[in-house]
Amino acid sequence: MSVVDDIQFYVFNHHHYAHLPERIDDYSSSWVDYPNSEFDPRLAHELYQRYTREIRLVEELGFDAIAINEHHNTAYSLQPSPTVRAGHVIASTEKIKILVAGIPLNLSLPNRVAEEYAMLDVMSGGRMEFGFPLGTGMEYWSNAAQINPTTARARFREGLEILLQAWEQDGPTSYEGEHFFYRFLNPWPRPYQQPRPRIYIVGSGSPETVDLAVQFGAGYSVVFTPIPQQLRAFESLREKCAAAGRTLAPDDLIITTIVYVADSDEEAEREGRPHIERFFSWYHRVQPKYLSPPGYVSRDNFLRLASSAALADAKESSWEDMLALGRIAIGSPDTVADTLAHWAQEAGSSRILLQLTIADMPEEKAVKNMTLFAREVIPRIRAKTGVPK
Amino acid sequence: MSGYTQTRYELAGVEVAVYEAGTGPPLLFLHGAGTITGFDSLLPLAERFRLVVPHHPGFGDSADDPAVCDIHDYERLYLDLLDALGVGELTLAGHSMGGWIAATLAISQGARVRRLVLAAPWGLRVIEHPTLDLFSLPDAEVPLHLTADLSVFAGKVPDPPTPEFLADRYRESTSAARLLWGHTYDPSLPRWLHRISAPALLLWGDADRVVPVGQLPSWRSHLPHAEERVLAGVGHLLFDESPDAVAAVAGFALPPPGG
Repeated sequence: MSVVDDIQFYVFNHHHYAHLPERIDDYSSSWVDYPNSEFDPRLAHELYQRYTREIRLVEELGFDAIAINEHHNTAYSLQPSPTVRAGHVIASTEKIKILVAGIPLNLSLPNRVAEEYAMLDVMSGGRMEFGFPLGTGMEYWSNAAQINPTTARARFREGLEILLQAWEQDGPTSYEGEHFFYRFLNPWPRPYQQPRPRIYIVGSGSPETVDLAVQFGAGYSVVFTPIPQQLRAFESLREKCAAAGRTLAPDDLIITTIVYVADSDEEAEREGRPHIERFFSWYHRVQPKYLSPPGYVSRDNFLRLASSAALADAKESSWEDMLALGRIAIGSPDTVADTLAHWAQEAGSSRILLQLTIADMPEEKAVKNMTLFAREVIPRIRAKTGVPK
Repeated sequence: MSGYTQTRYELAGVEVAVYEAGTGPPLLFLHGAGTITGFDSLLPLAERFRLVVPHHPGFGDSADDPAVCDIHDYERLYLDLLDALGVGELTLAGHSMGGWIAATLAISQGARVRRLVLAAPWGLRVIEHPTLDLFSLPDAEVPLHLTADLSVFAGKVPDPPTPEFLADRYRESTSAARLLWGHTYDPSLPRWLHRISAPALLLWGDADRVVPVGQLPSWRSHLPHAEERVLAGVGHLLFDESPDAVAAVAGFALPPPGG
């Protein structure tokens, strides 16, 4: 069976703070230390209203899922608390799936996340899926220094064990690890979906996060990383799962893409390109130091990052570099459908996470992009296998 | 480290590189949270002492050990080293993070430490004169804060820095963060410094931008018998910046006549 037979489309709304500072090049980063004097609560209120309209539209247009996540101290995201946002998304929609991908467990307490996520699942009647990120390096600079990045991965692993134990075993149970000790693990509520909602590890393809997906029987979602890195991550996951006796299914893998579709390739580039460029030049503007707090990666991984410019220095990336490295599908419905079907086949993935609201894109353009994608691209991809949804 | 001989010791499961030079009574020097400048500036001490300079786990030529993450891990590791070296009584000197370790060792090893030198030590929280958070300082500003004399980096820092050089710094920063990411001090230290009765020297540069010399009186209040020496125009890397710093240690730590 081709992976495109069962393809599903998730729409990732990052909730960017879409207003750029006047003197944008005064700032070396839109994360961590970008001054929050640039934040206007009234403009942000309008943005929350707008993104809620977009989320409702995503459901109306027949997409399969909405995805949201968590970041701190940044214009990249208005979602420091995705569970607060998800509660509102549940109330604003009827039946669409919601992927919260998600709270970095180290920034909360695993039992509390188990409870909050179960609460969302019960409230929504089982519409939830959850992704578990370690959290970007920036989150460790933006939160209290008592969350030590040198132990982040070990704590994260224990946090996942605790959360899954809390969901899957009848309580009360206890848990004793190196970082956590629970006397009574007994969360109320428990998830609506039994034994538990679908989970994914969210990573950039590091061996550590791939191993977590294998260990916990989770899917894997690659956050924005260059194409070759996404493919390598999936390949490594596939091999490690096979070695562990597990067959990886196409719906275990979520690929992440930026998409802009218009009537023609030329029109798409004219309309979409400025926002995609801004996505990299502003929303990805981060001092390298903030990407890798001490101990967040190994020395060898650090050396690999320091040696490859990749998208780290996005300000210097050309449009051609972005197209070549980034998973950007831009063009006419035919072009975009061909590209996405090819990537899904190549990755063996049937879950595509689409970023359709990009950077400082105005609402009308985002709406047009979503509408064209739903009406013109999805049927083309499905027609490639002749399997109607 | 050309004037030294290196020996590798396995201490509590981690391989530690130990540099030694000279003969005489032992002087253990515990370095700060970096090894860029090397320790050749200390070699004059080898004229009178058996100078012992270990690289901390996760620094320089020593192996990594994520389990060394608490001030008492360092303390006990160096107790193991003293045993391995067959050293009983000693002169103990520590700089910066190593000063904090030295003070901690001196608290528990009162009978063993003949003389103690604390050079711009971390370990105390002095609210009016806080220790600089080097982690959050922009990379480009770090050298200017570490030293009042940038020439100490000449020939030791590639320009521009190579990925290998940066990765080595990242590794040392990781090792330091295991101990220091949350705090650069030990809240219980003031309560126990009274256990140090050995003659002590508090050595500082008055241009120190990392551990301000304003912290010195706070150490003095807990070590009332300590001598002090403040070097004018000298920053945090005082042993690299000024031969006077090394001479001050030698002068203070000279064995008593007939000793």
